[in-house]
Amino acid sequence: MENRVEYWVKIPIGPIHPALEEPEKFIITLDGERIVNVDVKLGYNLRGIEWIGMRRNYIQILYLAERICGICSFSHNHTYARAVEEMARIEVPERAEYIRVIVGELERIHSHLLNLGVAGHAIGYDTVLHLSWLARERIMDILEAIGGNRVNYSINTIGGVRRDIGEKHKRMILDMIKYYREEVMPKIEEIFLYDPTVEARLRDAGVIPKRIAIEYSAQGPTARGSGIRKDVRYNEQLGVYPDLGIKPITPKEFTGVIKGDVFDRMVVRVGELWQSMELIERALDQMPEGKIKAFSKDNVALVRLKKAEGEGIGRYEAPRGELVHYVMANSGSEIPERWKMREPTFPNLFAVARALVGEQLADVPVAIASIDPCLSCTDRVAVIDSKTGKKKILTEKDLLKASIEKTREINPNIKAKPEPIAGTCGGVRP
Amino acid sequence: MKILYVTVGLIAIYLYVSFASLLWEGLDRKLVARMQRRMGPPILQPFYDFLKLVSKESIIPRDANKLFEIAPILALAASIALLAYTPLGFEPILATKGDVIVFIYLLALIAFVRVIGAVSSGSPYAQIGAQREIIMLASREVPMMLGLFTILWRLSKLGVEKPFSLGTFYQYNIWEIGTPLTIVGTFVLLMVFLLWLASEIEVGYFNIPEAETEVAEGPMVEYSGRHLALFKLSSALKEFASASLVVAIFFPWGVSGYIGLSGIGAVILDLIFHTLKVFAVLFVSMSVFRAITGRLRITQAVSMFWSRILPMSLIGVVLLVIDILGVIT
Repeated sequence: MENRVEYWVKIPIGPIHPALEEPEKFIITLDGERIVNVDVKLGYNLRGIEWIGMRRNYIQILYLAERICGICSFSHNHTYARAVEEMARIEVPERAEYIRVIVGELERIHSHLLNLGVAGHAIGYDTVLHLSWLARERIMDILEAIGGNRVNYSINTIGGVRRDIGEKHKRMILDMIKYYREEVMPKIEEIFLYDPTVEARLRDAGVIPKRIAIEYSAQGPTARGSGIRKDVRYNEQLGVYPDLGIKPITPKEFTGVIKGDVFDRMVVRVGELWQSMELIERALDQMPEGKIKAFSKDNVALVRLKKAEGEGIGRYEAPRGELVHYVMANSGSEIPERWKMREPTFPNLFAVARALVGEQLADVPVAIASIDPCLSCTDRVAVIDSKTGKKKILTEKDLLKASIEKTREINPNIKAKPEPIAGTCGGVRP
Repeated sequence: MKILYVTVGLIAIYLYVSFASLLWEGLDRKLVARMQRRMGPPILQPFYDFLKLVSKESIIPRDANKLFEIAPILALAASIALLAYTPLGFEPILATKGDVIVFIYLLALIAFVRVIGAVSSGSPYAQIGAQREIIMLASREVPMMLGLFTILWRLSKLGVEKPFSLGTFYQYNIWEIGTPLTIVGTFVLLMVFLLWLASEIEVGYFNIPEAETEVAEGPMVEYSGRHLALFKLSSALKEFASASLVVAIFFPWGVSGYIGLSGIGAVILDLIFHTLKVFAVLFVSMSVFRAITGRLRITQAVSMFWSRILPMSLIGVVLLVIDILGVIT
C-alpha cells in the first residue's frame, strides 16, 4: 500500500456556486468522492461596515446594523441597541422588551423556515423548498404589517422600540400561529422527522461531535444539535425571556439521540419553531401596558448618548446562534469610538469545515446549508496598502501578535504570553 | 424502395418524437410546478429554450479537446439511431431478429457519449459527474436486463419466431397469459422497470450525476449554446425512448384494432395513443417521483440497486421461471 498513487482532485466550491447563497469559498480536496481536506476562504463579502459605522451617529448606526444581513435584520439592530443601552445605562420599558421578544421570535420562525427549505434544496428535494417558503410568506406578511417592511422592519431604537403591537396585530399573529400549528407544522415534522429521503441524506452527514463543537465554539442550532445546552436567552437570562420559560432545545427531546449530524440540527430548528410560537403566545398574554420607548425623540436620546462613557456589550441569540455587538463610547461625540460585532456563522463555518473531512462530496451542500451560513454578516480583516494596492489577509498569528503589541503598549506590566490555537486561521487543523 | 420508405419514416418519427418529447418536458415542468404550488413556466418553454440555445454562441473551454465538440453530435446521432429501434405503438422501423440488444446498447451509448464529452471538457465538476454517471450506468442495467430477458423468454414459449425482437410485445403481451404467477411476477417487474426508468432519465433519487447543488449540472457544466441544445434534445429523445420500452413491455395495447382502422391511419392513431401512454408512464416515474423525493448519495444509490432493486427483479424473475418450468400448475 506504500506505493499507492493518490488521485486527489481539488474542487472549488465557490465563490459562486449553486450550493451557496452568498459568496464564500471552500477548496475541497477529494479522493474519489471522499473529502480529504477542506479549506475555507472568506472575505468575498467585505463591505467595510465597521468603517462606515465609525462615520455615523448612534441612531444612524441602527439602520446600518439592520442592513448587515437581510435575514437577521432584527437581531443585529436589537443586539446593537442592547450594547448601546448597556453602555449608557438606559432603562428599557417592559412593554418594549416584550415587543422585542415577539418580533425576535417571529424573525426566528421565518429564518428557520427559510433554512429548512434551503436544506431541502441542497439535497435536491425542491418540493420542500417551495412549500416551506410558501408557508414562510404568511409570516412575512405579519412582519410587514407590524414594521411596514418585509425585511428591514426597523423595530428597535435606543431605549425601546419604534412601533407598538396593537389589538389588530395581536389578532393577526394569533391567527398565523393557529395556521402554522394546524397546517404547516405537521407537514414540516413529517418531512424533517420521518421522511425516508431526508433521513437517508441528513443522518450521519456532516457530524460535529460535542468535543469539536466546544473546541470550535459552535453557536446556536449547530451547538445545540451537538448536544450542548447553549442558548444566550437562557444562559444569560436575557431581558424578559426567563419570565416566558425559555429552555434550550436539543434533539434529545424529539428523537431521543444526539448525534450532532445535519439531521439533528434540522430537528433543533423544528423544535425551535414550536418554541418560538409558544413564546409569542405567552408574550402576547403577559405584555403589560405602558410606554414603548425611554426617549420621546431621537435627538433626546442622542443628547443622552453624547454624555455616555465606557463600553457596552450586547448579546442575543440570533436564529443562527449567539450574536455579540460591542460599542465603545466616545465621550462628547455622537459617534461611537468603536463598534464591533461577532457573528455566529464565523465559528460555525470552521466547525462544519472540520466536520466535513472524511465525508462525501454529496454532503457538502447540505452540511454547509445546515449551519445556515450568513456570509454578509461574517467578514475577515483585509489590509490593503494604499500606496502599492497590495492586499494582505491577516491570519490568527498576525492578529495575535498585533494585539499583544497593543496590550503591552497600554499596560506593560502584563506578562502572559498567549499562543495561537491553530496554525492558520483559515485552514482546518490537520 | 424499401430504403426510401425507411428513411422517410425515420425522419418523420424523429420530427414527431422531438416535438412530443419536448412537449412532455414542458408538461412535466408545469405539472411538477403545480405539485409544488407554483405557477411554472409555459408549456412551450422547452421549445423556446431549445431555439434560444441554438442561436447562442457556444463557448469551448481552453482545456477541452476535440471530442468535447463531437460528443453532442454523437449523442444526438445515437438517439436518432435509437428511435429506429424504438417500439412506438408498432414494430420498430428497423426491426430485426435481435433489436432488443441493439436498443439496450444504444441507450448505454448515449450515456457513454455524455461521459466522453464531460471528461473531455477538463472541468473537475464534469469529471465527478462523469464518474457518477458510469457508476450509475453499471448498476442500473443488471436488474433491467434480467427482467427484460425473462419476459422475452416467457413470451417465446407462446411460439414467436423472433424471441429477441421488440415486435414480440405486439404479438403477445405478458398479461394475457393470465396465470397468477405471471401476473404477480410481471407486476413486480413493472416496479423494477419504473425505478429503472427514473434512474435512466436521472430524476428524484437518481439525479446524482447532474446534481445541481453539488457538482453544478455535472457532465453538462461546460456546455453552452448549440452543443448544450443538442444534448438537451438527445436526452429528451432518450427519455421518450426509454419510456417507450416500458410501455411496449407492459402496456402494448393499441386502439386501431378496436375501431377497425388500417394502413397509415392506424399507424398514426397507434402512435398518438402510444405517446399518451408514454406520458402516463413518465408522469409516474418522472414527475411524481421527482416531486416526492430528493437526491441520494452515490453510495446509497448503488447499494439501493444491488441490495433492493436487484433482489426485487430476481423475485419477479423467479416467479416467471416457476411459471415457465411448470413446477406449480
